[in-house]
Amino acid sequence: MRERMEKALRKGDAEYTEIRIESVTSSWVNFRGEDLDSIGSSKTLGGIVRALVKGGWGYATFNDLSDLETRVREACESARLVGKEESTFAEVETVVDEIPATLEKDFRQISLSEKRSVIEEYNKIILGYHDKIETSNVGYRDSFRKVWYSNSEGSYIQDERPDIGVGISATAREDDNVQRGFENVAGGAGFQIIEGLQEKAEAAARRSVDLLSASPVTGGKYTIIINPRLAGVFAHEAFGHLSESDLVYENERMKELMVLGKRLGPDILNIIDDGTIMAQRGTHRYDDEGVKTRKNYLIKDGILVGRLHSRETAAKMGEKPTGNARAVGYQHQPIVRMTNTYIDKGDATFEDMIKDVGLGLYAIDMVGGQTSMEMFTFSAAYGYMVRDGKIAELVRDVVLTGNVFETLMNIDTIGDTVELPPVGGGCGKGGQSPLPVGLGGPYVRIQNVVVGGRQQ
Amino acid sequence: MIVNRLIEKVMRKAQGAQAYLEQSESTNVSFENDKLKSVRSSQSTGMGVKVIVDGKIGSSHTTDIDDVDGVVGRALEAAEFGSPAHFRFPSPQEGPDVKVYDGAVLRVTKEEMVRIGEEMMTLVKGYNPDILLSAEAGRGVSKSHFVNSAGIEFLTETTSFAAGVNGQWIRGTDILWAGHGFGWKKREIDHVEIAKKAIELFKMAERIAQIRSGDMPVIFTPEGMNVFLLALRLGFNGKNVFLGSSPLAGKLGEKISDDTFAIIDNPLLDYASGSGTYDGEGVPHQVTPLIEYGIVKNFLYDLDTAGRAGKKTTGNGVGCNPTNLVIKEGGTPYEEMVKNTKEGLLVHDVLGLGQGNPISGEFSVNVQLGYKIENGEIVGRVKDVMLAGNTYEALKRIVAIGDKAEWAGGSLLAPPIQIARLSVVAK
Repeated sequence: MRERMEKALRKGDAEYTEIRIESVTSSWVNFRGEDLDSIGSSKTLGGIVRALVKGGWGYATFNDLSDLETRVREACESARLVGKEESTFAEVETVVDEIPATLEKDFRQISLSEKRSVIEEYNKIILGYHDKIETSNVGYRDSFRKVWYSNSEGSYIQDERPDIGVGISATAREDDNVQRGFENVAGGAGFQIIEGLQEKAEAAARRSVDLLSASPVTGGKYTIIINPRLAGVFAHEAFGHLSESDLVYENERMKELMVLGKRLGPDILNIIDDGTIMAQRGTHRYDDEGVKTRKNYLIKDGILVGRLHSRETAAKMGEKPTGNARAVGYQHQPIVRMTNTYIDKGDATFEDMIKDVGLGLYAIDMVGGQTSMEMFTFSAAYGYMVRDGKIAELVRDVVLTGNVFETLMNIDTIGDTVELPPVGGGCGKGGQSPLPVGLGGPYVRIQNVVVGGRQQ
Repeated sequence: MIVNRLIEKVMRKAQGAQAYLEQSESTNVSFENDKLKSVRSSQSTGMGVKVIVDGKIGSSHTTDIDDVDGVVGRALEAAEFGSPAHFRFPSPQEGPDVKVYDGAVLRVTKEEMVRIGEEMMTLVKGYNPDILLSAEAGRGVSKSHFVNSAGIEFLTETTSFAAGVNGQWIRGTDILWAGHGFGWKKREIDHVEIAKKAIELFKMAERIAQIRSGDMPVIFTPEGMNVFLLALRLGFNGKNVFLGSSPLAGKLGEKISDDTFAIIDNPLLDYASGSGTYDGEGVPHQVTPLIEYGIVKNFLYDLDTAGRAGKKTTGNGVGCNPTNLVIKEGGTPYEEMVKNTKEGLLVHDVLGLGQGNPISGEFSVNVQLGYKIENGEIVGRVKDVMLAGNTYEALKRIVAIGDKAEWAGGSLLAPPIQIARLSVVAK
């Protein structure tokens, strides 16, 4: 493949050209209710050429690999149509590297029927849990992505990127009241991580039934405590996207808003993006521009100290590339993305956090999150009210929202242990979704958070 | 042809099969931060097969046109452990006439798409040079060949065209996003109108208006109607109905909304994004009323789900999802709706939709782009506001439906709708 790619690259006449080719084999099993909903496997193969001329980009994506040279010429021609100024593109070391995946239990060697029987067991646990369980949705998927990357500077990288996950969802119903409980596990790992999840299946079922008798949370402002999984969503959604330089580098106002050295949170707050943590879903040795990933401090002691870059944004801002140019697949060009984002540990125990809370909310796990940069919203799977320093009743429909700058300043206590739960799903940006990312943090307490919901 | 060869190969082991090959090409130009950023050309191939072997379903797909044996083998393997089939592959039926191809799309050059983007940006900049803009224009063409073992065989060629402009306006720490775009299967898109619509959204947002927490009337623009459509899409999905996870299960013929509310699934609108003569299983498309006079009329089915539920397919395969949704117009001009509102909210776009328990109809969202109405006038944009309620309860409390439906994206045609009261939580 290397020879083919390098030969095609020589046909390019742009300032910079790269080819990325990916083959993906994937399989899936999905139960809904008592029946197997779908099972199968697929194989895709495709690639993208990216060319840079005078600051303008040309892209050519393809499934047909037989004529790489034409795709290279096509991308160069598009780039010439666009380019009108001087290119800025940070210099990086040229690398030649091969990264084979090491899987404890290689999911490619496991038959569809074995995958099916593991998933079927979880499904049965849910359906047999209680007579109020209405239905279930238990899905397994795996993908093994092989990436060949080659650029006109002489870099060549061959990378293997496994991704596996299970989503377990239980639906309970009582008349018109329909509630869901769910758990998921995912990682850049082998089949072993999705085995032995019987307790998680039962937990999902139990929660869906418990939520039937829970009240929706009353809308208003609360002191909230978020668990590590939700702290990760907060770090990613509320703040992380703002640190992506493609939203800043050509935007004078955003530059003022996000100037390095600015205080964004209290002294105890540290937020980190790190693409090198073993077996996390956002981990790779190189990003999709062939730049080595690393540990990047974004907020240190409450001060904005760094941001995430591609080679283009780094050069424009006079900063160093950080290894954060990522593409969701061969149909897309790399853009600035997070890898594994977390809030670093503080020194409080969970007890410390709740003991002086008169009326508060303990929000757990996530359904999702979204941001418009300044405003964010994220949804907890469920929560408990905190009353007079004690965990009280279960509540549902917990949606937290706020202004990032105010909310970061309102963090007042940070827990003493960081967890990086193996979450599924992924991040969406610029039409590229779902990109596997890692998330986490300790327990975090935030004052004055707006919680959506009806008022009493 | 390759698809016929696929069918021939699988039928040595299978009792029934369908296969498709789709080949597409598209070109997009994209502007970022006020300037032309990239031009993309895409070539894509997709090929798939679905089989029934000994009463069980298996399927597989690939992007590699040379992988005939691989895709056949994987589909047959999947069928060994597959779910039981509750249908037979259908025989040919005459399909309705619907336009999905416009030759004019193919004649659009990259340079013309660049010009479209530039013109939209110039217009918005003319209104306010402080707004940082991105814009996009794109065209595509796709050929697909569909064959099944019961004698269906057809070739379809479709085109697509789209244009849009988005802006970001920062004042202090206030970041405002707004924009407008449209795409369908036809070249004819008035990009000047798109830019004007985007300008209008910014104009109404020039001032920031304070709003109190509490229950108040809320008007949803056609785009804003997506808040309700999420629950309806899930609720009318025949599979969710069959499994009982839809709150509409068992409510066929029951009244669930205000009398004035009607919504249909219509795949026969010329050039709409969800339109076509046949669905993905070779079944002719049809118009399916979902709610009429507030009453649940039908759910959406594909072949297998219909078989399981003892119903007939509605041509919504595979997946029982709607094609194009059309909400019936009412009798109130939009301007009048605003004028009759003493204190309320106009919602255009929200953040966080679908994060809670969407199938139940519950929503709790951040108003990403919404406006305060005071004494019959739009007085400014609201910020840090959450809107919460339940779709099914809200649809019972409709006070007015606009007299003019508009496209919101290429597969939703809806008028604005006013709900008597919803819960608003402000900071």
